[in-house]
Amino acid sequence: MKIVLALFLLFFTYASKSQVNVSVDTLKRERLEEVIVTGQLNPVAVEKSVVEVKVISRNTIERQAGNTLADVLNTTLNLNITPNTSTGKSGVSLFGLDGQYFKVLIDNVPIINEEGVGNNTDLTLINLDDIERVEIVEGAMGVQYGSNAVSGIINVITKKSAKTDWEVATYIQEETVGSEYELFNRGRHVQSIRLGHNFSEKIYVNAGFTRNDFAGFYNNRLGESYDQNDGLRGLEWLPKEQQNGKALLSFQDEDMQIFYRFDYLNEVIDRFNDIVNPNENPATNTTDPLALDEIYTNNRWYHHLNATGGLWNSLNYNISFSYQTQTKDLERYTYRIRSDQRENIESGEYQSRSAFFSRGTVSNLLGSDLFGLQAGYELTNEQGSGSSLAIVIQPGEDRVTQRLDNYDVFSSSEIQLSERFFLRPGFRVSFSNLFDNQYIGSLSAKQKFKNNWELRGVLGSANRTPNYDELYTFFVDVNHDVQGNPNLNPERGVSAFLHLKKTSSLKDGALRLKNKLSFNYLDLQDRIELIVVNQTPLAFQYNNIDSYTAAGIFSENEIYYKNIKGQFGASVQGISKVLDSRVDADDDFLFNLQLNANVAYTFPSLGTTFSLFFKHIGRQQQFVEKTNAQGEQEFQRGETNPYSWMDATIQKSFMDNTVVATLGSRNLLDVTSVNTTAFEGGAHNGPPSQIPLGYGRSFFLKLAYNLNI
Amino acid sequence: MKSIKSLSILLVSLGLLFVSSCSSDDDSQTTSGQPFVVAFESLSANLNELGATKEIPLVYSESATLSGSVTISLSATNAVYGSDFSTTPAADGNVITLNISPGTSGTNVVFNKLNNNLDETTEIVFTITAINYEAGQIQGNTSFTISNSASLGRALEPSVGGPNQGNQVYIDLSTETQTVVVRDSWDLAFYSGDDFRVGLNASIYMAAANLETTDIDAITEADVADLIPVVAIGTFDPTNEDYIDHPDGDILLTAIDAISENDNDNPVYLVNLGFEVGTEIPDPGSVAIAGDARGWKKIRVLRSGDGYLLQYANLNDTSHQEISIPKTPEYNFNFFSFNTNNTVSVEPKAEQWDINFTVFTNIIDGAGSYGFADGVLHNRKGGVLAYEVLTDQFEYEQFSSGNVNNAAFQQDQRAIGSNWRDVFDGAPLSDRFYVLKDPNGNVYKLKFLALTNDQGVRGYPEFEYELLQ
Repeated sequence: MKIVLALFLLFFTYASKSQVNVSVDTLKRERLEEVIVTGQLNPVAVEKSVVEVKVISRNTIERQAGNTLADVLNTTLNLNITPNTSTGKSGVSLFGLDGQYFKVLIDNVPIINEEGVGNNTDLTLINLDDIERVEIVEGAMGVQYGSNAVSGIINVITKKSAKTDWEVATYIQEETVGSEYELFNRGRHVQSIRLGHNFSEKIYVNAGFTRNDFAGFYNNRLGESYDQNDGLRGLEWLPKEQQNGKALLSFQDEDMQIFYRFDYLNEVIDRFNDIVNPNENPATNTTDPLALDEIYTNNRWYHHLNATGGLWNSLNYNISFSYQTQTKDLERYTYRIRSDQRENIESGEYQSRSAFFSRGTVSNLLGSDLFGLQAGYELTNEQGSGSSLAIVIQPGEDRVTQRLDNYDVFSSSEIQLSERFFLRPGFRVSFSNLFDNQYIGSLSAKQKFKNNWELRGVLGSANRTPNYDELYTFFVDVNHDVQGNPNLNPERGVSAFLHLKKTSSLKDGALRLKNKLSFNYLDLQDRIELIVVNQTPLAFQYNNIDSYTAAGIFSENEIYYKNIKGQFGASVQGISKVLDSRVDADDDFLFNLQLNANVAYTFPSLGTTFSLFFKHIGRQQQFVEKTNAQGEQEFQRGETNPYSWMDATIQKSFMDNTVVATLGSRNLLDVTSVNTTAFEGGAHNGPPSQIPLGYGRSFFLKLAYNLNI
Repeated sequence: MKSIKSLSILLVSLGLLFVSSCSSDDDSQTTSGQPFVVAFESLSANLNELGATKEIPLVYSESATLSGSVTISLSATNAVYGSDFSTTPAADGNVITLNISPGTSGTNVVFNKLNNNLDETTEIVFTITAINYEAGQIQGNTSFTISNSASLGRALEPSVGGPNQGNQVYIDLSTETQTVVVRDSWDLAFYSGDDFRVGLNASIYMAAANLETTDIDAITEADVADLIPVVAIGTFDPTNEDYIDHPDGDILLTAIDAISENDNDNPVYLVNLGFEVGTEIPDPGSVAIAGDARGWKKIRVLRSGDGYLLQYANLNDTSHQEISIPKTPEYNFNFFSFNTNNTVSVEPKAEQWDINFTVFTNIIDGAGSYGFADGVLHNRKGGVLAYEVLTDQFEYEQFSSGNVNNAAFQQDQRAIGSNWRDVFDGAPLSDRFYVLKDPNGNVYKLKFLALTNDQGVRGYPEFEYELLQ
């Protein structure tokens, strides 16, 4: 470790010689600019919002050298990132609910993926290079953002203007994957370039391209060309390469802003089978090993046209049109390992989805400062398709396709009942071609007290629409009968949050504190589970049956003192599952503790910021049905061991901020996986005893060149 | 320390990256260095069963890209080259030379039998003595024997029929023969041994239930309505074991009770005819065994002399058909099909098959009957025995007749069963092989080589076997 430290110091002391005066007041500036849009009638300062919105600033993203959403969220309180090493995806879990219940939006528009519109998002596919900030809201946001915004939402806000005529932002980032690194074939390699230009005061254009090459994590595996059948072929984490191109065209004058944003993403994931067919020739006693390998290719196209502005001096409108598609193709082939030949190549569409989305709001309908009224519509015409390789369907059927058309209208108002009390009721009606009409409501209130105390209460609701497995699975043969259920209803979620907040300014403003204590409650009814619908012959079907409750308390605190910015949080969440789908299930609350801390310290004279990001996830419990010593089935408490994430970075700017270097380490505590007993075995295999979480301690260096003229 | 090394590499590389940010996409190291092998495709041929000429194929370990040659030496016991037999190409002083041509993947020698009266003392052995080719190596089946003995062994690919596994394939190891029968071409198997027993076709998941009556014409669909969902495979109700023949192959454990001399003791049975062979094409690695359901029959079996009398009808029929089915000595069973309303030819003679590649019905403890694909059942009724050997005890290559454990032989016809394969890996389990004794006392070792074809499609098994002597 000493050598590493020496290298760090050498690098920065040498570099700082060329450097005298750097203005590092970025922390301060960041505070002033913190305006949010998520869940708002109009963009407002974060303090003025009636709903509680967390912000991850550009600055924080930079300090963490975050390239995709998956890189920056793992130290956020309550949110857990769940990587899937066998698909290469990273999902979100919040209040114990997976990515199906969580919605990711870009500029208020849900972002598509092959399995959902907004939900089920693979966070590694959300590139952050043109992002101004990330806004996070916990709790159901169905009135504002529709279906599947049950546990919360992330709204990624892109950059739509520049202060200077020309902007050039380019960087390269080299990162180890655990201790694995080579120039091309090991580690992670990111290159990015972005150009922005103000053609006139009204017209701004930017375009960028990023390549993100993750060579995968080998650990003790031996890669593609290994030819023995001992489970060591291939990689532990699948390698993938992403190319992402983006462009923005913005027109702005006093009355309106129009922008068109385009985003194209291509991702190629290689899956080298660990099973090797020795392909023995018994006559000659020789082998010619074969493996059945797969390549997944994702193509995502995103178009978003948005107009905002004012009408007749008082009305504000905001209207978006978006068309998005994502197609995941699968190429399968027999790889003749020794001769490096691909044979029997078959390729086809694996999953795909396309959606036309439009959302429009008119606010300030009453023209009153005390009574803000917003009315809006949202429509989503979504078409999805899953091939027989992605979902179990009747043999001979090629794929399932589904259209889901949602036509929603909603209204929110913000009522200022007194100087200190604000009320915000909202309501949405959703009409769709598949489900009964859905009625969703929300009610938020904010009371300001003396001495900068604030109390917010947020009641929200949202539904989760059934997924394709739940709707269309068809696995029926002589031994099995497992079927989807096309008549499923959406799961119904309600959440309630109470936030008590205090901002303090001490020592003449030198020390500022923000303290927040929150209580949360989330309830989910009509949860969809696979249940036995017939005993003889045994048959299973998905049904709306169970319920789920998460309740907890958490606190988030910020401190600003001189050149220190600190943020500390703690959370205790309890989860209770009422499993009507099971016999003798236990619905006791099981609790989980989380702690987080993000600290940044800036040396103004050196132009250097040290940052530390930390999160601890305590023991997680889950009731699992297991066979006890007497041979009976019973529910036991399964447990996943606690673990912690820690990242540390040093960021230094040179030449008046035109060159910024960030050197850091992710996963300093070297976490790879945790032991768990919290899973049940399947019909044909035992439960997994470990959850892969990370690939161990890795280091990165990012060099960015920014020119603003 | 490893991480420090990689960090320093990282730092150094960054400089380079400024210059170029391209990628090479190939990190495969070539695994060459494999030998070029020429070997006999099989180990032996039976002199009595040979025609006037017999092609003896040789195979290469990979397609030849160069020219070369193989030298084979010839030794004959109680046979004289030129008068009793000859070869093409001709031997020159007991040495045959075969050319290896680019683009070919094998060659052959032709054996010409000139004397039809060679006896069991005759043995003619071809042995590869030299391979003149780059990296040529002599290994595998290095010799080929023509004699009167049972087959010494070879590899076979039974024609199970791909992912629908539409065929039952009867294999006779000692004569290297396969007999292929379509799985749903028969329904009932009338035992030809001493007992009077009737078996069901377990390869199409048939089941039968005793209806506790002797009046076949009185039974209607309504009478059996409660039994219809129950008398089936894979219901996950353990009591459904009563409706199938015991999968161990014991003739005394059939679903249908012994056929009594006394007609009044022979009840009517409800018979679930199982499923036609599937026709769907499943995704690679999966199977589609069962097609459309074949419906139901009511049957009653009586004795008729030293044979059987089968009475059968559709469920709601008020009259029935009858057919007399004699026992067939030398065979395990006489088979009957409701498709043809007649007896049909299925199994080879009892002593002429050892293992049957077939879909079969098994029992999972606690869950009842369960349909299995990829089954390999040995000929219990014909007197075949088999057992499994794990490679942590013996390696297949090293296993010899001295290692055979006679006490381990099992009658249970599932000694191989489905134990040889892993459906999730789509491959045979490499940690085991099998020992089998045929009705003539020949003992073979057997190893499975494939469950799928090169594309991972199920229903293309391959195995090799070798006579232990």
